[in-house]
This record gives sequence, C-alpha cells and structure tokens, in this order.
Amino acid sequence: MPIALLKQKQNPDGGWPYIRGSSWTEPTAYAVLALLSAGETEAAGSGLRWLRAAQRSDGSFPPQPGVDHGAWVTALAALVPAERLGLPAHARSIEWLLGNSGTESTLAYRVREWLLSTSVGDFENAGWPWAPDAAAWVGPTSMAILALKKEHSRRPSAATGARVDSATRFLWARVCRGGGWNYGSVAVYGRDLPPYPETTGMALAALRGDRSPKLGQTLDLATRFLAECRGADPLNWLRLGLIAHGRLPKGYCPPARIEPRTIMEASLDLLVTNASSAEGLLGS
Amino acid sequence: MRRNRMSEASETANGPALSPVHRPKAGPGDRTFLTRREWAAAAGTAILGACGKPSAIEPPLVSIVRAPGYDGRIYQTVRDLLARQQLQVRGRSVLLKPNLVEFEPQSAINTNPLLVHAVYEGFLALGAASVRIAEGPGHRRNTFDLADAAGYFGIVPRFEDVFVDLNLDDVRQVRHPHQVSGLRKWYLPKTALGADLLVSIPKMKTHHWVGVTLSAKNLFGVVPGGVYGWPKNPLHWAGIDECIADLHGLFPRQFAIVDGIVGMEGNGPIQGSAKQVGVLVAGRNPLAVDATCCRIMGVDPLKIRYLLLSAGQESPLMERNIRQCGESIASVATPFQLIPEFQRIRLEKRV
Repeated sequence: MPIALLKQKQNPDGGWPYIRGSSWTEPTAYAVLALLSAGETEAAGSGLRWLRAAQRSDGSFPPQPGVDHGAWVTALAALVPAERLGLPAHARSIEWLLGNSGTESTLAYRVREWLLSTSVGDFENAGWPWAPDAAAWVGPTSMAILALKKEHSRRPSAATGARVDSATRFLWARVCRGGGWNYGSVAVYGRDLPPYPETTGMALAALRGDRSPKLGQTLDLATRFLAECRGADPLNWLRLGLIAHGRLPKGYCPPARIEPRTIMEASLDLLVTNASSAEGLLGS
Repeated sequence: MRRNRMSEASETANGPALSPVHRPKAGPGDRTFLTRREWAAAAGTAILGACGKPSAIEPPLVSIVRAPGYDGRIYQTVRDLLARQQLQVRGRSVLLKPNLVEFEPQSAINTNPLLVHAVYEGFLALGAASVRIAEGPGHRRNTFDLADAAGYFGIVPRFEDVFVDLNLDDVRQVRHPHQVSGLRKWYLPKTALGADLLVSIPKMKTHHWVGVTLSAKNLFGVVPGGVYGWPKNPLHWAGIDECIADLHGLFPRQFAIVDGIVGMEGNGPIQGSAKQVGVLVAGRNPLAVDATCCRIMGVDPLKIRYLLLSAGQESPLMERNIRQCGESIASVATPFQLIPEFQRIRLEKRV
C-alpha cells in the first residue's frame, strides 16, 4: 500500500511533496530510500535526479529548491546510498555535514562568549541545527549521526568518527530525567520537560551500538511509548529506535487504524516494516 | 541587542548553566525600552501595517464579550461578536489560525476547538468564499495528531479537508521593507500569504520569554517548520520580540479573537496553570486586542516589548485610544499570576 501511495503522490518533476503541492527535499529523500528498499528503481530514479538537481554548490541541500540556504535535510540526502546518489554528490554532502554545527559550538561564537566572560556552557559536544544561524537540536543531530555512521561504515575516517562521538555526547547531555528526549532541552526554570515519543525514537536510532548506562531506562520508556502511541510518525521512529537496539517486541504490529498522512510517514513505515530496509537506514 | 535564543527550552541534562546558548544571557523581559534605531524601524513597520487599513483612520474597535464556558452558547456569542465588528468578508478567503502547542487535551495550552468551529461557522455565515483552519506548531511535527488530541477532529466536521499544516505548506520568499529583526527575508506559507483575512485565535496566556502570548505572538505558528525547524530557532536568535514585530507587518490583513474563556497563568505558555476568565476579546487591530487582553490580565501592555516594536509608538496601545465595546475591562479584569522574572510587567496604572 505505501508503495502505491508513494508512486501516486510523486510529482512530475520526480520529487515528492510533504502532503500535496511542490516537491521538498525531506519527503523526496525518504521516498527514495523507501522505494529503493522495495526495489522500485524507476520511481526512485527520478527522485534521485530531483535530489541531485536540488543540491547546492556547497554540498548542502535546501529544504525546498526555492529556499536559498542548506539545512538539516542534507543528512537525509546523505543517507541515500552513495552509489545511487552519485559518489561526488554524496561526498560533498558528507563534507558539508562535517563542517556544519549549531551556532553555539562555532569558533566565532565561543570567542564572543569568552570575550563577554559568559563562557559557561557546553561548547564541546557539537550537534546540528535545523537551519543556519541557530542552535543544535536532537532531531537534526540524530539524523546527521545516522548519516555519518553509515558513511563511517562505508569509508571510515577519523573526522567522521570524532564527529559522531561528539554528537553522541550531545544527545546524552540532553536526555530527560526519566529517559527519552524532548526536542532539545530537559527543563525550563527548573521544571522538567517531558520526553517526546518521536524524538526519543529518533535519538535511539542514532545511538545504535551505544552502551551508555542511561540506555536501559530510555529503552523501557520507548517500549511504553510504543504501547501507548497512536500516531504514525512516533510509531515509525519508536519502532526504528527499538529495532536499532534489538528491543522491538517480537511480532509487533502497529494498530490497524493508523494511516500515514504524509510522505515521510508512508516512507518510514515501508522502511521500518522491512527489517533489512531498516538495517539500510541504520547502517550495518 | 538582547537575543532570546530559545523559546520553551533553557536547560540541558547537566544543569541550567551548561549551555548559555539555550538561555538568554539577560533575563527574560528585562528590557522594554526601545533604542532610537528600533523606534525608527518599528515606526516603519507601523506605517506599512497601516497601509490599506481603514481602521487606522479611526481608533480601533475592540470587543470584550463574556463567554462563561465551552458550550453551545459560544456559536451565538461569536456570531454577535462578528456582527458588531462589521467585517466585510463576503466572497473573501479567510484563514483561521488557532494556537496548537502540545498533546495535553485537559490543559489550557491549546485554543479550544469549539471556539474555532464557532468562528469557522461565523465567517461562513458572513458569506466568506472559503474558510480554512491552519497551524504550524513549534515543537511537535505530527500536527494532525496534535489537532486530533486537542479535539479538533471531533468538533470540526471534515477537519482534515479544511485544515492546512503550515509547517509543511509550500512557501514563498518575502521581505519586510522595514525589518526590525535580523532576518532580511522570510519564507512564509503560501496559504497564509494568500488569505484575504488572517484570523489569529490564540489562547490568553502568559509566556516565560516575552511576558504574554496573544494574537501577535500567535503568528509564530505561521512560520513554517519545514524551513525553520522544530522549534523555529532561527527566530529566537534573530530576536523573538523583533520577529513578532516583523510578522505583524508582513500580515496587514488581520482579525484577532483571543480565547480568554480559560487562559493560562504563571509559567506559560506550556507549564502554567489554567485561569478562568470567561471572556472573548476581538477586533481588527491585533495590537489593540492584545493591549486590551494585557489589561484584563493585569499586565501593562506598554511593558511588552514586542507590542511596542509592532506598534511603533505607544499611542495605539493606550486605552484611551481604543474604542472598547461590550464589557468594560474593569468588569472582567482577572489578574494573572506572573513568574518572578516578569513581575515588572504588572499593570500599575491604566493609561
């Protein structure tokens, strides 16, 4: 069913909209990954051409072609197998990711904070922002970790490994008190913020292979979320996060009445349902 | 220029002092005065916003009506309110923008769906060619699930057909000729830019970064997460107050209806406590509506920095320059609890 939906929703330019309308990078990257995993090479092929055309000269990808800045969606494009996206295009996207981080961890900002004597923060663990000129957050950092881990398994490098390690520390520094992740912080004015199911699943997927002592509590929480959630997006991410740690309950099936509303939801459902596809997304 | 870099988040797992980027260096709300440069930019915004608005010629009309609860009576209340405002929307497209924030249907976080449906029906009854509901939540990506949890699917028939997720809508680049923030260009949803009338329907709430969140602050939800992220953090770095002022100028055709039936006080806009006020406040000038709401909440609108930036001068915010109809402010005034960081915005003398 998701395959038919993806084919039906594909725009004439080869890309996909979020729901309807013009093509965007995020749904296109997810749809391409899903269709490739299902062996639908023709539809995926025109999506790949759309992605290549959307790439900016600095290697990044904009959220939508009319937007004149690169963004977090570069990580999604970098998750597409290098040989499919094209080796030079893929290498440039990885290079851009390695050079990008939240503004708070840039040298210029750190110098400024030092000069103002307000340098009291966590500058060392660099994550990724959603958009330029902003701080790093759990969602885009998780996606960038996934992309870099996949790249590291294909073509190991010290730079990639170091960046993954730093970003992993970034995520653990932001885990909520009872486990799981909010979108990026743990408290406001001393009051704890609740973890979100979707962000928790995303971060768990990124932390595949991690052995932090905090992991068990978060996996338990994710399992509880999985039993309670009724939304396609959080269920997709929770499943992926639990698969990453071998903790998806055996024989688990999402509630029957849940239908995907967006291209991302349909694509991720396709990717997660097939264990080998999930493996492709998570890296080996 | 002070910049708030975060909206609803300020601390990491390692404690509040870990990341200065996640907490404003100066305390929230600690500056309401404007520099000469800010006044100039804000005045430009005000002039731009006034262009083509007949209401700018005479003092804005703000309605305060009692609405004791979320029940069937609200439909008639809203119809009467819209009639009093004499809106000409026949044949026009109207976009309703409620405030949807979190999955907590029992709390006072989100605009109540019954009110939004009453407004929806009210504009259709006035002959609007189309009425749609749209929102782009700042934290949660699954907007339809959020609307479902907030009760919209149960209250608004065919909700999925009339609702637009502004986070995922197609965008168009626009520039503000008299920008106040550091953002030289904006990418905004075509659905919002193309509406003949944008109706902001926020909840009456306190806000731990800017003091209060009403119809002007509600425009943050028009900014697309698909371009700016979840949260829309580039706006925090560019200045929350300044971005609100820019957004106010970018949408000159607005109407505002504030859901003050049950508001939120204290550590709003998410973690505060429900506050029963029992009013709707509405008008064609969102700043005048917000200023009136402030006075009902026991807050001085002249100490809300984004209102000053948006208005360009104090006078449009002053009570004597607003035509009030319906209930008087004094008869419905219900002081809201303010967090210690915002005690300084407490209203001492109404002007």
